[in-house]
Amino acid sequence: MVRWGMVIDLKRCIGCYSCMVGCKQEHFLPPNIFWTRLLISETGEYPQVTNHVYPVLCNHCKEAICVKVCPSGSTDQRDDGIVNIDYDKCVGCGYCVVACPYQQRTIYNDSKTGYFSAQGLTELEVIGQKLYPLKPGTVVKCDFCKEKIEEGIRKGLNPGVDREATPACINNCPVKARVFGNLSDPNSKVSILIRQRKGFQLHPEFGTDPSVYYID
Amino acid sequence: MEQYEWMVGYTPQTEWIDKRGLLVWLAEVSNQLGSGLYLVSLYFNSMWGMLISLLIIVVLKCGFHLAHLSQPLKFWRMALKPRTSWLARGFIFLALFIGVGAIQLAFSYWLPGTAWEVVFKVAAGIMAILVAAYTGFMMNYINGIPFWNSAILPLLFVSLSVSSGLAGAIAIGLFGVSMDIVAAVAGIRMLLILHTFLLIIYFWSATYMGPTGKRSVKELIQGRIAPALWLGVVLCGTFIPLAIFVHSYVTGESSVSLLITAISCVLIGVFSFNYCLLKGALYGPLIPT
Repeated sequence: MVRWGMVIDLKRCIGCYSCMVGCKQEHFLPPNIFWTRLLISETGEYPQVTNHVYPVLCNHCKEAICVKVCPSGSTDQRDDGIVNIDYDKCVGCGYCVVACPYQQRTIYNDSKTGYFSAQGLTELEVIGQKLYPLKPGTVVKCDFCKEKIEEGIRKGLNPGVDREATPACINNCPVKARVFGNLSDPNSKVSILIRQRKGFQLHPEFGTDPSVYYID
Repeated sequence: MEQYEWMVGYTPQTEWIDKRGLLVWLAEVSNQLGSGLYLVSLYFNSMWGMLISLLIIVVLKCGFHLAHLSQPLKFWRMALKPRTSWLARGFIFLALFIGVGAIQLAFSYWLPGTAWEVVFKVAAGIMAILVAAYTGFMMNYINGIPFWNSAILPLLFVSLSVSSGLAGAIAIGLFGVSMDIVAAVAGIRMLLILHTFLLIIYFWSATYMGPTGKRSVKELIQGRIAPALWLGVVLCGTFIPLAIFVHSYVTGESSVSLLITAISCVLIGVFSFNYCLLKGALYGPLIPT
């Protein structure tokens, strides 16, 4: 059984935000909606200061709390581990938004105001809404570019290896800090990286078993 | 909070308290008032009390929740996953409570004293308790917010519901509806003491829920939400009504104006407590800070 997952190499990440930009472009995400973000912090005191840059996104947890709390069944987990939202079923109660300990869900409300609020939606934004329709009043989040994965598999491509079948944030990363692949396959690049470089999940104490691992 | 602080520092829960989220707060208060008043009215066998409580639940609680939903026309979908979701369970409890309560009222009005009336009274009473408690379970389930991760929360909600119900019962009793005000005052006196203890235990236990839980309590005690806690919950919600009710117990008399003051204070306390609970909820930082 496939379980898609991601490994993010914190040593390689240079905090350039191209994953965020790539994701925004891929999905035509409206203002204030981010499916991947960079969290930046500093620890220690001068002159021994450490800068931490963590790209974060939906963890597509194996024991996803958002799937459990969703009262309408709009959030479910596919067989390949991707946590998916059915916009037609979502009632917009916000329980999943509150319950996600990683805060990776947002209620998308405003489809009228674009990036340039004074002039209305641009031509590109109108095209974006047609190509990648998000439903106002529903919850949105990263979907691991499921369309690309599905299309790629249909074409016989290998997600994580072939660009066409790989999530946009991974394709856009200039330093190859992100790696995508099948966590269930012990010989996949992600599994090898996790094994060899002691990959860790963000806050495993939540008991959600995230599919996004970090190595440093 | 600034954009760059999001999930890097302690991040407040906003979905259920800011902007449109205020409706959730109002719905919770209506829930406690409605379910509590129903239980109290059931005890005192007050038809008017039961009717008013059902109206509070149907009009206010359901109304606020529907207004909060982004897709209100799909509200029925909320009942589809009771196996794992406390919100779905709550929705079912609520629907059953309204249905059973309405039937019980009909029996009490047209066929009082029958076995069916008793059966529906017991069923509606159980549903009212479940409606009062489910919010506690729903919040307790969220492990990302340690402040809510307490087994006391459902109990606290039930006790709060009954005390607000008793306050509501005294209020409608003052309007001439048959209600045993003396017994209600005695009941609320005891409950306020119990509630204070529960509240102290709740806050105390929250400080043991890791640094995030501790921070929530700190925010409540001396942070941005402190006025709501000290003035709303402690002074208005506990101290003033307790002083009035103890005074009435010692002197053996209670004036209408003092009772109205006490009831108003209890209700302010219920509003404030729910506000503190929702506003004080924090997520811990995701990355080392």
